[in-house]
Amino acid sequence: MEKMSLAVGHTPPAFVLVGVGLVLGVALWEAVRTYLRPRSPRPRAIALSLLALRVLGLVALLMMVFEVTLRIDEVGPAGRRIVVLVDRSASIALPDATEAGEATATRQSRLEKVWAESESARVGWRDDGYLVDVRAFDETTHAYAGEQADTLQTTPDGVASDLARALSELAQPGPDEVPLSAVVVMSDGLVAPDDATDTHVRAVAESLGVPITTMALGAPAIRDISVASVRAGEFAFVENVAEFEASIVSYGFEGEAAEVQLRRDGETVASRRVRLDADGIERPVRFEVAPDRIGQFVYELRVVAHEGEATTDNNHRAFVVKVLRDKVRVLHVAGRPDWDVRALRTLLRRDPNVELLSYYILRDHDDIRREDTTAPLSLIPFPTDELFEEQLGSFDLLILHNFDAQPHQVAEYIDNIAQYVVDGGALVVIGGDLGPTDGGYAVRSLAATLPVDMRQPSPLVHESFAPLATDAGRRHPITSWLAAAGWDSLPPLPNYNPLSLSPSADQIGGSALVVHPSDTDPQGRPRPIISVAEPGKGRTVMLATGGSWRLGFAPGLPLIDGARPYDLLWLGVIRWLLRDDTSGRLQLETDRPRYRVGEDVELSAKTVSVAYAPQPDVEVTWELRLLDESAAAAESEDRAAVRKGRWTTDGLGRAREVVADLPVGAYEAIARREDAGEDDDGDDAERTAAAQVRRVFIVEPPGRELARVHAPPGTARLAAIAEATGGDALVAAASETLPRRLELADAFAEGPGLRLDSRRDIPLWSGWLMWTLLAVGFGGEWLLRRRAGEA
Amino acid sequence: MHTDEKLGRRALLAGLTGAAATVAAASALRSNAAPPPQPPQTIDPFGGRVDDSTIQLDLPQLRYEGSWEPRPTAMRTLARELRLRTRLEPVREPTVVEADSERLFDTPFLYVAGEGALPDLGAIGTDQMRRFIDLGGLILFDAADGGADGAFTNSVRDLLGKVVPSAELSPVGRDHVLYRSFYLVDTPMGRTRAHDHVLGIQEEGRLQVLVMRNDLGGALAETPDGLAAYPCTPGGSDQREWAIRFAVNILLYATCTDYKADRAHVETLLRARRWR
Repeated sequence: MEKMSLAVGHTPPAFVLVGVGLVLGVALWEAVRTYLRPRSPRPRAIALSLLALRVLGLVALLMMVFEVTLRIDEVGPAGRRIVVLVDRSASIALPDATEAGEATATRQSRLEKVWAESESARVGWRDDGYLVDVRAFDETTHAYAGEQADTLQTTPDGVASDLARALSELAQPGPDEVPLSAVVVMSDGLVAPDDATDTHVRAVAESLGVPITTMALGAPAIRDISVASVRAGEFAFVENVAEFEASIVSYGFEGEAAEVQLRRDGETVASRRVRLDADGIERPVRFEVAPDRIGQFVYELRVVAHEGEATTDNNHRAFVVKVLRDKVRVLHVAGRPDWDVRALRTLLRRDPNVELLSYYILRDHDDIRREDTTAPLSLIPFPTDELFEEQLGSFDLLILHNFDAQPHQVAEYIDNIAQYVVDGGALVVIGGDLGPTDGGYAVRSLAATLPVDMRQPSPLVHESFAPLATDAGRRHPITSWLAAAGWDSLPPLPNYNPLSLSPSADQIGGSALVVHPSDTDPQGRPRPIISVAEPGKGRTVMLATGGSWRLGFAPGLPLIDGARPYDLLWLGVIRWLLRDDTSGRLQLETDRPRYRVGEDVELSAKTVSVAYAPQPDVEVTWELRLLDESAAAAESEDRAAVRKGRWTTDGLGRAREVVADLPVGAYEAIARREDAGEDDDGDDAERTAAAQVRRVFIVEPPGRELARVHAPPGTARLAAIAEATGGDALVAAASETLPRRLELADAFAEGPGLRLDSRRDIPLWSGWLMWTLLAVGFGGEWLLRRRAGEA
Repeated sequence: MHTDEKLGRRALLAGLTGAAATVAAASALRSNAAPPPQPPQTIDPFGGRVDDSTIQLDLPQLRYEGSWEPRPTAMRTLARELRLRTRLEPVREPTVVEADSERLFDTPFLYVAGEGALPDLGAIGTDQMRRFIDLGGLILFDAADGGADGAFTNSVRDLLGKVVPSAELSPVGRDHVLYRSFYLVDTPMGRTRAHDHVLGIQEEGRLQVLVMRNDLGGALAETPDGLAAYPCTPGGSDQREWAIRFAVNILLYATCTDYKADRAHVETLLRARRWR
């Protein structure tokens, strides 16, 4: 239809407007005054004609001044676009049936069938002038065109069904898009995993303001088992029971048995058989397992697939669990109670993560000989055989605190202690007046594990001194807190054992962290006060003083970061000995444990030297492997790497890699120092293992697309949307097709509801018409006045 | 592997219990028996070779204006008894410190004796006492009146009200490790046995303050010729021996804290008591 209007083509300057206005005003006023004169000699008809001619002339003059144009717009109804939203998420590929036992058909096949059978309707929409815009939606929306728009043939594999997003995009049309008239949604309706999302979808649909006709593609009968949800913490504690719970939902398998497995890094660690409930009933399956080692693992709850399942992609669900050390088992053996023992015991007892077992020698043979044999004592035997033969391996940390091994029959177990360290144990030897003078540690095997040479007795020297931190000490995690302030502000130590670094220190990574300021050994090296070593897979620390308690009890004791220096020292010792994550010489991290598919995975590594300085130019190889393999494959070292590469750390010992486009799955990232074992002779597989770090992560779909596959809730959701927006609710499984007459929005609404198709402008101010009007107006008035004898 | 470890721990515990049972039971069976013979008092534990390298424990006593040393030789006797009975190596002559001295922090143990009310220790002294406790020290207050006069104990309460205002003195239960840190002791005796318990302030299970009201120092004190300086009433020499044992327990607690509360010790001792 046409819409006509007048348009002004030129607006004169202000002074011209004022002049024109004055002239027109005076001319009009004069004409009106003359016409209204009560005793005019003119006949009334002539007076009226004069006035009309004056107005006509003035109007023509105005049109000429303002260049008035006649505008003719061809407009039509604006809502001439029908958008068809087609679900292409993975659930559309599922087969289901109208009744149990009937032949199944995939929802995609119903979609294509309905689309084909609705061809006449679609042609009709176009004949009515509607633009039919076909779009597919999953986690995003994209347009169908050409043959795909005609057939809708595709492989539905979208990882989500974000209908709310697809509808939201329609609410914000592009500048070239005509407004909506109607929306058709063809889906199974499984677009909202929870009530909140359901409400959101409906709110977005209603906000569009157009009728939404829905075509439900699902059918009520399906056979499937899925892990609908998982309850698991991000952390667990080693050798402590951790609970993992899965909710199993099944359809069409009521009463049948199913095996649910708990897998760790692809290997089954527990399984349970459960009987499946009625359709749609969530059955919780709980596993209680005690992780046997610390680290980061991908756990997975999996239901063994049944024949005839619509899909097995929803039979498992993975999650990352970091297994932490819970209670650090510490064996604290002291040769004599004193203030140093008191301080260390108090510290260890205060730590809730420490399970402390102590044996202190409270009396020696002379005391026993003198003691009243009737005195009721609380003493118990020192179970050397049990502690150092049978149970030594169960301790994470052994502390020999000023302990004289020989008088207490421990010297015979020194080889066991050395082997415990080589096998990965942690040992602290604390000096004093008994241990280093005893000679009980002068055993070759133990000497090869300690950073200091204890083959010769080293009587305690009572001398107050402020030790010095070495370069290694300023960087080492045990004493790095000394880097800023040094020892100047700390209490002096009251005594020390004048020991020397072990001759084999270089072979076991032995180094002194804190040394005596003036006393040196025969080689001229400062006497080590705190020293460390890494023999085999274990770690050892030597404190060559019995007075470290002074770091926690002194007048004017400074607090460092709110903690006593004594606490900092021992926190560092324990963390380093127990290989806390931050204490390795190669560290590997991912920026997150879980990623959505499509997101970049960032790997970062850091290398440090034995002295914990950033170590540049270290060759590090890395690779990513999938953990979703079978158990057998998971154990194989030959699993193919999904990605791999090589780093050379920069000047600060850092390396970084961004890995893109990883498909959905659980992965392990492994990095290795290529210089591992350089200093060793022969087979050094253990050292290589120590220089390898591992992290795991999961790349997952953005939503749980296949967590729920039963169509009826989706069908109901679509019907509710149709009802709320004024559209029709149709069901493909009931052989319904799209209607020829869709429910449409008001096509001729005011405002943005009209669309301009074409426009013509006819200039009224120029050409013969204008001159004719001017001539008729002003010329006619002149002639009429003349005939009336006024001119 | 996990199961094996658990079984191993049980086996360890069983081994400990069994191994200890004989000795502990034998001792326990005699705990309420007739007064034990006294250790020979002629032995001078300091008379032998002195090893300069030994870490020696001081048992410092607080000096203040007033009757700070009502039992002058108490700590010396305790030092000797500790040497005779335990592996602790106390100094021959315990030192004396003032509350406002930095030497207060040379040892995380302080003995404060008194007869009558404690004087005001001054702001510096009070602050130092507070810091002493905060850093982990243990103060043993010993009332020489033996329960006859509450002046000392009351003044200790006043002092502690300033030093640890958030805590109050309360009885230390019989199940506290203090009663079994070396000897199995039933009652905290001193020169008197007017009170059947000690008072204390504990934080997170750690005793910060002990108040002995039965004149422990009076039981320990000796004349220059090595005889008991004060008679112990009503138990005489037996009571004196039990007082020494409790004093030994206090120092073992001071150095080992709740060592005897460890599971292995507790279960062994409980079994011994059942046998008793």
